[in-house]
Amino acid sequence: MTPRPLALMAKDLRLVFADGAGIVQPVLLGLILVFVFSLSTPVGHDVSAQAAAAIFWLATSFAMILVFNTLYSSEGSNQSRIGLLLAPMPIQYIWIGKALAGGVLLLMAQLVFLPAIVVFLGQDEVTAWPMVLGCILLVDWGLVAVGSLLGAMSQGHSARDSLLSVVIFPLLIPVLLAGISMGSYFLGDGSGEDLGSWIGVVLAFNALFTGAALLLFPFIYGEY
Amino acid sequence: MHENINPDVLLELDRVSHFFDDRLVFKNISLKLPRGEVMLLAGPNGAGKTTLVHIMTGLISPTSGTVLSGVPSEKTAYLGHHTFIYPGLSGLENLRFWAGMYRLHKSLEELEDLLALVGLKGFMHENARTFSRGMAQRLSLARVLMLQPDIFFLDEPATGMDAQSRQMLRNEISKARHRGASLVWVSHSLQEDLDQADKVLYLENKKQAFFGLTSDFKDVLQERLH
Repeated sequence: MTPRPLALMAKDLRLVFADGAGIVQPVLLGLILVFVFSLSTPVGHDVSAQAAAAIFWLATSFAMILVFNTLYSSEGSNQSRIGLLLAPMPIQYIWIGKALAGGVLLLMAQLVFLPAIVVFLGQDEVTAWPMVLGCILLVDWGLVAVGSLLGAMSQGHSARDSLLSVVIFPLLIPVLLAGISMGSYFLGDGSGEDLGSWIGVVLAFNALFTGAALLLFPFIYGEY
Repeated sequence: MHENINPDVLLELDRVSHFFDDRLVFKNISLKLPRGEVMLLAGPNGAGKTTLVHIMTGLISPTSGTVLSGVPSEKTAYLGHHTFIYPGLSGLENLRFWAGMYRLHKSLEELEDLLALVGLKGFMHENARTFSRGMAQRLSLARVLMLQPDIFFLDEPATGMDAQSRQMLRNEISKARHRGASLVWVSHSLQEDLDQADKVLYLENKKQAFFGLTSDFKDVLQERLH
């Protein structure tokens, strides 16, 4: 039998793909961001590697907000949230399931953003693709840990999208800075001396927010 | 919610009171629900029936008082106004998902039988978005029956159902009762549902106005009418 967090993830992905909007909107929003920033330099000039990395992670962050809003609002239409809360399982499974689904959707969006960065921002010196993927997965883990927690927190608020963005961005600063620094290295800028330190920052961030989310989620989502 | 110690009593409430902020919903509700009994929960709109059911299921904690349950959560089922149905999934996929959440190994044939029982086998591959309110409620009933619960919490379960579906619901309630399950049943159709119940809890004026045998409640009703 499929573990319940994976069953939750599979259900969410099925719902998102059946509807389409849950993945198309984040991808389009990110692409628009990349395209608009590509207009910020004169014709013939490329955006710096650091700026390109910043735009990539900004697009990812905006996409993440839409993704988690979609994932958590799907439990509201017929109050299936109550059903999940009554199911005989730790409440944290919901957080894990949503985080996994969000991670998959975010990765899919990034698979579109990466070539867009190359094409629109002139970044053609991408090195060490396996390392790039590893870096993306590492930062994504931190993003979805926070995103899944705050997605749950924002449910029930009429202005949930704006609330989510207001709360989420200050929290994401450390992991975004790390992502930008690592990204700029992989896009051919810098010597990579600080790479180890930034990986340490991301690992610490991931451990902290994963632990905090597991601890806080029942208080945030468990109270009906 | 605490574990109960008396195996014959599935649910016990002791002086349960609840506030929403500083507004009192009800106070000092005490009751025992023995195995195999049906308790009708009635009262005017706003009396706190749904809130009390949520407290009984453990969904919300009472402001004061204790709730003792002898039934593990996997043997508890709730059917309320909301159907818990995902509109983007088919009827079969919805059932399969909830079976997974309860770690139930259900074959395709078993799920088909459940859908046939509630008259939805012919629609099982259709998107639940296309279901009428009554069909959605029947799918929700299939979910509840699938759990084979020891205790049912039914909050106006016949909402949106036609006469045939309501009869099917009564039959299934009767079957569940015969195998020893207990039911807490919120109803607005007292005349229609009273005969199904062993006991009645009537909430009025923020308190337990009546709790006792159905026959006694009928007497009280008669007195009120005269």
